[in-house]
This record gives sequence, structure tokens and C-alpha cells, in this order.
Amino acid sequence: MRLRQPSLWAPIALVVLLAVFPALFPDELNYIGLGFLTFIFVTLAVSWNMVGGYAGQVSFGYAAFFGTAAYVTAILWSRYQWEPVLTLPLAGLAAVVVSLVVGLPCFRLLGPYFSIATIGIGEAARVLALNLDQVTGGASGLNLPLSVPSKPWFYWSGLALAVVAVSVSAWMRASRVGLGLFALRMDQDAAESVGVNSTVYKNIAHSSSAFLVGIAAGLYVVYFSYVHPNQVFGFDLSIGMVLMGVIGGVGTLWGPVLGAAIYYPIRQLLLSQSNLVAFNLLVYGGLLIAIILFEPGGLLGLIRRLARR
Amino acid sequence: MYEPSAIAGLVVTAVLTAGLYALMSYGLALVYGVMKIINLAHAGTMMLSAFVVLTLNRALHLDPILGAVVSAAVFFLLGMALIVTPYTFSTVDIADVKIAVSRLIPFGVSLVALGGLTWFLRATDLGKAIRAVSQNAMSARLVGVRSERVATIAFGLGSALSAFAGGLLTLLFSFNPDFGGTFQLKSFAIIVLGGLESLPGVALGAVVLAVVESFSILIPGWRGSLINLLAFSILVAALVLLPGGIASVLERRGKTE
Repeated sequence: MRLRQPSLWAPIALVVLLAVFPALFPDELNYIGLGFLTFIFVTLAVSWNMVGGYAGQVSFGYAAFFGTAAYVTAILWSRYQWEPVLTLPLAGLAAVVVSLVVGLPCFRLLGPYFSIATIGIGEAARVLALNLDQVTGGASGLNLPLSVPSKPWFYWSGLALAVVAVSVSAWMRASRVGLGLFALRMDQDAAESVGVNSTVYKNIAHSSSAFLVGIAAGLYVVYFSYVHPNQVFGFDLSIGMVLMGVIGGVGTLWGPVLGAAIYYPIRQLLLSQSNLVAFNLLVYGGLLIAIILFEPGGLLGLIRRLARR
Repeated sequence: MYEPSAIAGLVVTAVLTAGLYALMSYGLALVYGVMKIINLAHAGTMMLSAFVVLTLNRALHLDPILGAVVSAAVFFLLGMALIVTPYTFSTVDIADVKIAVSRLIPFGVSLVALGGLTWFLRATDLGKAIRAVSQNAMSARLVGVRSERVATIAFGLGSALSAFAGGLLTLLFSFNPDFGGTFQLKSFAIIVLGGLESLPGVALGAVVLAVVESFSILIPGWRGSLINLLAFSILVAALVLLPGGIASVLERRGKTE
């Protein structure tokens, strides 16, 4: 197949450049690890954007999908001796099931009410996970087997997953579903009156994004060989997905990618400096306020505005 | 199976907690009513206020209740803390039911504050203006209410109420800089149960949440650490099933009968 759109060349070049990095610098394990985690967060941000951006329903409950999927992988791997890679599809499916349980009632709500309900669900899931000791290890977490693949393996898997997520997002944007989502974001009643079934469309976007988040969560726990309810069900994870979208540009294809590529490395940098740890959240709070007040389109909006000058 | 006095104790605890819950949710309901904004900083104000009270108590040995009154303006950030005051362990016995003074005082103060607020909203011009704007901002403007100014005042009042609640909270619960999220969600659950804008509804929602939380310990196999699950579940269920709050259900009943 011939690549007709010239805009595809830049992303492909970027992916190739990123893919050869571990082969060229096999000793830079820190950067390879950072790269893997950044790809995971790119996947999360891009997936979140399908519902938070395209459909305009800002969810603060994605940690519920991430956590459930993380535990599916962790338990199948450590207690039933599955190959970690084989658990990933099941982790994704578990996240889809949770997304339907959340989505079917909650998509009756719009705007801020939906957001509040998802905060409640995310936090309820965390409290539940902390108290189901027999299953989740409760507040001490679960230690997982240490026999994990090499860091470059994770790097390439993460890159592949991020590429899949961006492709799904790009396909969704151009498809009937995406157009329906855009329409109902602008005016749900008008969209319904021309035949967009908002509940079905939102749930399609919600469960596709949950599937991707689930797979990302599975890879994430295999990488760390450890899982704890406050880590994988944490509210800061849900907030992080919103932040990455807002920083990069909500509702765009590349905004969340840009947002995650900036958010995650900076977060790691701030967390690794012991005197800056407390500023981690302050930086993001300030950034969020500044972006919402001055450039609601995010960094991508800013770049576009500068390019137009 | 259970001692009657133990049940009575639970009821009393529930009612007393409800007073504080109502106080902490009124501010949120007020701001929502007037500005149609869900104030996510609500619990942040409470947290800051709790720490201001702690600081005043430590540095100046100021009584926590006076501190709660003072704390609306100042702010400091401190590390994790648990406040123990002369009120913490004292109780009052009424007919076999032990009532913790640490709960009685916030309850009483909350009642006074709620009474004051109700009077303010019903009797004063400014209060009437706030209610007018929350019912219909456009119409309020047409009859000459400066709705922008009213909104500013309502937001200030809402923040002051949450700061006040935060200060009183220091007597009841342990707190740390992260405790806000839980109370934010509890306040949401309460105002959603109450129907978002009605102040009597908020009081009703506060009682419902407090009673459910207090009586949850009677559930077999229950643990205290699951208590927040109740508020979160009530929040989601109320949003999905009762968009108009409990009051709307009662009204509908009344109409159909």
C-alpha cells in the first residue's frame, strides 16, 4: 500500500528513531526504562482522550480499569503461573467489563455529574481493593515473580502498544464513531435527533479505551513485579490521565501524546530529587490553572497559534 | 441481640456527625446554587482551615472552636498531625448513653451556624438576593440584583463555611494534607442526596449519610476501613438513580397520591 498522506511520514520516522534507540545504546538502561514507562503513559493519555476528549466526558475514574487489569495480570501470573504476556488480553477484557459496569449507568449523566460519579467509582474501587486482602494482598500489596523479560523487551512492547493506541485513536477520529462522538460533544440532543445513539457510541469509546488501558496496566505490573492497591487504583493516576490530556490538548490526536511525553519524564525528574518531591503536585496544579486560563487548547493549541503567526 | 443503649449511642453519634456534615456541605450547596460551579477546592479550604486551627492551637494555645472562627483567612501548610485537646476524651452521660463532648460541641456550633445561615438567607436583603440568583440568575438580574457581586459574596460565604467546618473537624477526626478528597466526596454525596440546591435537602442528606455510616458497624464482617465506600456508593447511586435528590422523590409521591 502506498502512503498517500505526507503527514504519516513524520510519525513513522519518529517511531523508527525511537525503536532503534535500545539497539544503538544498549547500556542506557535508565533511559530505556524511562522510555517504556513514558510509552505506557502515552497509551493511557491517548486512551483517556477517546472519552475525555472526543466524547467530551471527563472521567476521573480510569484508575478503576488500570487497577483491575493490573490485578488480573498479577494474580494469573503469580498464583496460576501463566506467561505474563498471555495474561494481557484477559487484563484488557477485565478492564472492558469494568468499563461497561461503570459506563452503562454513568453515561446517563452529563458533564460535571459524570465526572463526580467517576471520582466516586474510582475511589470506591480503591477502598474495596485495599480491603479485599485475600485477593489483592491489601495494604501490603503483592510481590510477583522476579523472572521478567529484559528492559529493551519492555521498551519495544511499550512502543508497540503506544503505536496501536495512537492508531486506534486516529482511526476512531475518522470513523463514524468518532464523528458521532464529536457531534454529541457539541450538542447531545441535536446529535440524538439526527440518529446518533449517544449511549452506544460513548460505551464503544469507553470500552475501547479501557481495553488499551488494561493492556498497559498488565505490562506495567510485569515491569515492576509488584502491585499495590494505592499504586494501581490511585486517584493520582486518574488525575494524571486528565492532566496529560489537558497539558497536550484535549480532543486532538497528538495532544495527549505530547502531554504524556512531557508529563511523565518531568514527574520522574521531580520525584527523583528528594527536595523537589513536594513540588511535584504543585507544579501540575499551577500548570493546569495556567493552561485552562490562558490556552485551553493545551500545548498543541499554543503551537498551532504560534505557527499561524 | 444488641443493647438498646448501644443502639441509642449509635443514633446519637449519627445525629451529631450529621450536624458537622451538614455544615461542611452547606458551603458547597450555596456555591453550586448561585454560581452553578462545583467547587472542587471546597475540601482544600477545609484542610487548610484544619491546619490553621492546629497551628493556632499549638502556637497560641487557642481554643479549637475559637480557632475555627478565626481561621477563615490565614493559611499555613504543615505536616501530618493528630490533634488531641481537652475535649477529646471527655464525655457527658445522659440516661446511659455516653456522648462524646468532642462531638457535642461541633454539633451545637453547627446548629448555631446553620440557624444563622438560614436566618441570613431568609431575612436579609443580601440573603434574598443570593436565593434569587440561585433560582434564576437572569431574572434576578432583570429585577436589579447585581448577580456578579452576589456570586462573589456567595463564594466567600461558601469558603468561610467550609473553613469553619474544617476547623471544627479537628475535634472529631485525625487529618493530614491529603484528607480532603474523602470529605469532598462526602459533601458531594450529601448535596446530591439533598437535591444540590436546597438547604433543608442538605440537612436531610447529611443525616442519611451519618446514619448509614454509624449503623454500618452492625453489618456482619464489616470493617471500619470500608466506611468511605458507603459515601462513594451513595454518591454514585444517588447521581444515577435520584438526580433530583430525596426531596424530589418525596414530592413526586405527594403529587401522585
